Amino acid sequence: MAEVDTRDAILLAPIEQTGRGFYWALALLSLAILWGGIAYAVQLNEGLGVTGLHQPVSWGFYVTNFVFFIGISHAGTLISAILRLSRAEWRRPITRMAEVITVMVLFIGAGQILVDLGRPDRVMNVIRHGRYQSPLLWDATSISAYLTASLVYLYLPMIPDIALLRDRLGKRKLLYTVLALGWRGTKRQKKVLNRAISVMAILVIPIAVSVHTVVSFVFSMTLQPMWHSTIFGPYFVVGAIYSGIAALIVAMLIFRKAYGLQGYLKPIHFRYLGQLLLVMSLLWFYFTFTEYLTGYYGGEVEEMKVFWGKFTGPFWPFFWGMVLTNFLIPLLCLVRLHRHSIGKVLTASVSVLVGMWLERFTIVVPTLSYPRLPFPGGVYWPTWVELGETAASFALFALFYLLFTKLFPIISVWEIQEGREMGLKEVEERLLTYLPETAEGGAHGS
Amino acid sequence: MVRPHLVVPDRTVKILQWAMAGGFILFVGAIVTWIIHLIRTAWQLRDVPSASIGISLVAIPVFLVLLGVVLYVVWGLLTDRSEA
Repeated sequence: MAEVDTRDAILLAPIEQTGRGFYWALALLSLAILWGGIAYAVQLNEGLGVTGLHQPVSWGFYVTNFVFFIGISHAGTLISAILRLSRAEWRRPITRMAEVITVMVLFIGAGQILVDLGRPDRVMNVIRHGRYQSPLLWDATSISAYLTASLVYLYLPMIPDIALLRDRLGKRKLLYTVLALGWRGTKRQKKVLNRAISVMAILVIPIAVSVHTVVSFVFSMTLQPMWHSTIFGPYFVVGAIYSGIAALIVAMLIFRKAYGLQGYLKPIHFRYLGQLLLVMSLLWFYFTFTEYLTGYYGGEVEEMKVFWGKFTGPFWPFFWGMVLTNFLIPLLCLVRLHRHSIGKVLTASVSVLVGMWLERFTIVVPTLSYPRLPFPGGVYWPTWVELGETAASFALFALFYLLFTKLFPIISVWEIQEGREMGLKEVEERLLTYLPETAEGGAHGS
Repeated sequence: MVRPHLVVPDRTVKILQWAMAGGFILFVGAIVTWIIHLIRTAWQLRDVPSASIGISLVAIPVFLVLLGVVLYVVWGLLTDRSEA
């Protein structure tokens, strides 16, 4: 029977008992979801005319949300896989939280396309008559692969913890027994599981990178002004990782406070993630600067209409808001993290989440407002329907996440225990292999 | 009141666990079939079949590797009889 260290009992507490806060959160989130449900029912009944979408701006909040959520999904799998492969010991309390984000937001992100379709029954046409020349279908394929891989990558490291719940809890016995796959922690089982996790960690990195590259192709494969860019692939990937880290930090801070996990999620974790966020902030600025400078220097007429539309035209609040929240605020917050590190990292992360949504919006909408072909331009303004769908999407993500924490430990119990038992010894041995030979110690790192 | 622990029949658990693996085989099988259907349609309509073939050369192996990993874990864990 699997045992849990008494020090880690707090990790199972949210599953064993439910406080009043959970029901309050559930009620609030359900209200937002209800708003979205009503909005969707109206849209389904009356058509996309009830939204702000029209010609030429046929993509608005829904596609912005799609790109934003798919971007956030990079939080999990990619960051977790990189930390796992590089054997960063501080990853242990973080990986599960990150992996859950990926799976949840992928569902929400893919759902945006169904909402944007207006007629969801027509998705069958994609399955029956899809054409692989279209980047939209590349998206469907790569997101399916990423979702499948992320689900597997989330599930495999959960098996020992599910076995723990199977042995310890009296409720949901059938669920935990089936999902534990007969885990008893034997030497062979550990070998099988570790090998599978390692394969998955390697596999998910190229899949994750490909997903956001392909998402960018939906725009860059067209000849539309300020979309047709060769750097859109890496630009989108950088933005995705950037927003992903920010989402992870916010989730960590919420559950740290709600479930009293201060002993696991320490200021050092936030400082490390804050440094990573700072690097991504600089990288994001570099890509943005390059992208806009190239467009400006070329001076192509149609391109410049969109350019000035963003800089000084109707989209200036979104563009400059993006620069402020994606670059200036994070830079100010993260450049010195010696004191008040958690508060600064939280401020920067919330700012980045707002900024990255604005970035997606300024990519999607302005280009469509100034079409290359001689059609009249148009300004997009969302209606209560899109606002409701957007609120519901965020609420649905939060609800899924909350429900997950009521079923499974949000911090990997066995990985924490493994870190305590073997982490120190393993790190010491690894450190010695990095160092040059010593007279006493003999040869290392051979 | 303390609720007695539910005793789940071993046979039911085993059936559900193998059904999970079977469900995953069906899922990957459906995706591979779909991709092959798109190649066939593109081929019949002479609608740039090279695009479909090129993408399927990447996508199908990825799904098969995922299937392999899942089956390896299910088989490895469920058939282990060694002592803990």
